[in-house]
Amino acid sequence: MTGQSIVLAADIPFPPSVEDFYLPSILPWGAHDNYWFTKLTALVWLTTALIIIFFLVSYRKPQLVPTKKQWLAESVYGFVRNNIAVEMIGPAGVRFAPYLTTLFTFILLNNFWGIVPLVQISPNSHIAFPAFLAIISYLMFIIVGIRHHGVVKYFKTALIPPAPWFILPLLIPIEFFSNFLVRPFSLAVRLFANMFAGHMLLLVFTLGGFAMLNANAWFLPFSLLSWVLTIALTFLEFLVICLQAYVFTVLTASYVQGALADEH
Amino acid sequence: MTGQEPPKNPHGDDGQQPPDTGMGMTAVSYLIAGMLVWGGIGWLVDHWVGTRGIFAGIGAVVGMAGGVYLIVRRLGA
Repeated sequence: MTGQSIVLAADIPFPPSVEDFYLPSILPWGAHDNYWFTKLTALVWLTTALIIIFFLVSYRKPQLVPTKKQWLAESVYGFVRNNIAVEMIGPAGVRFAPYLTTLFTFILLNNFWGIVPLVQISPNSHIAFPAFLAIISYLMFIIVGIRHHGVVKYFKTALIPPAPWFILPLLIPIEFFSNFLVRPFSLAVRLFANMFAGHMLLLVFTLGGFAMLNANAWFLPFSLLSWVLTIALTFLEFLVICLQAYVFTVLTASYVQGALADEH
Repeated sequence: MTGQEPPKNPHGDDGQQPPDTGMGMTAVSYLIAGMLVWGGIGWLVDHWVGTRGIFAGIGAVVGMAGGVYLIVRRLGA
């Protein structure tokens, strides 16, 4: 075994565990079991700041012939408005385009930290962030539905399917469970699990390379292969990142559409 | 793209038809919800009566049937 690999691998914890998602505290610096301000908190604030600054700067002096920045901002907004909001909800969807765009960019950028070199963890790999986004979507589609139909009619449309009366007692609990319990849960868990698994996967392949070197210097080729795969998986992660941001936004739009829909 | 008008009539009809994107998720969630809700109720009944799982089994099957029925009614129309 070469000396260097021992030094590199000496304190490599393998296999990675959930503990690896709890990063050291920044404020107060280095405190134990204190998670009020960690790298994740900093990343979420940074994301928010970046989005606000980007959209403000690129749209401060809008030109008829757009600049590059303006073009990018307009493309993102136009994409969400035309391909998600209007596509899913219909003409009434334009109202929701600003919120959906915010949601989309926020999730996309937060996810993206998962593959930025040297940052490489996404705040969304902690369930708290997706859970809160899901709660917002959940409250939004219920409130939108209540404002559109009124309380009684909204819950009537949402809970009572068009079916003969004797089968309704069987169906109403299913409707309730699927519309009001599963939806926020599945929204949150889908995003969280994807980001969590992605981070875990990259950890396994990176640390696995070191662990193999640590075991036997002759495993160097396998270690190298493992690191090459890490890079390949990073590109796969990029796909997952974009897809999950899109799916979250599309499903939110779809729930809003369901809340606005009239009875069949 | 903001200057561009949003598509007025994306579905070629009254624009109220839900597109397909959410339907797969809805169908899966109905199936799972049906099984979990009535299976769970059956499980509670099992505990109450003291049987060893017969009602949970019946509940899961009945709930699954309800889920299928709901998919047909809500999405098949």
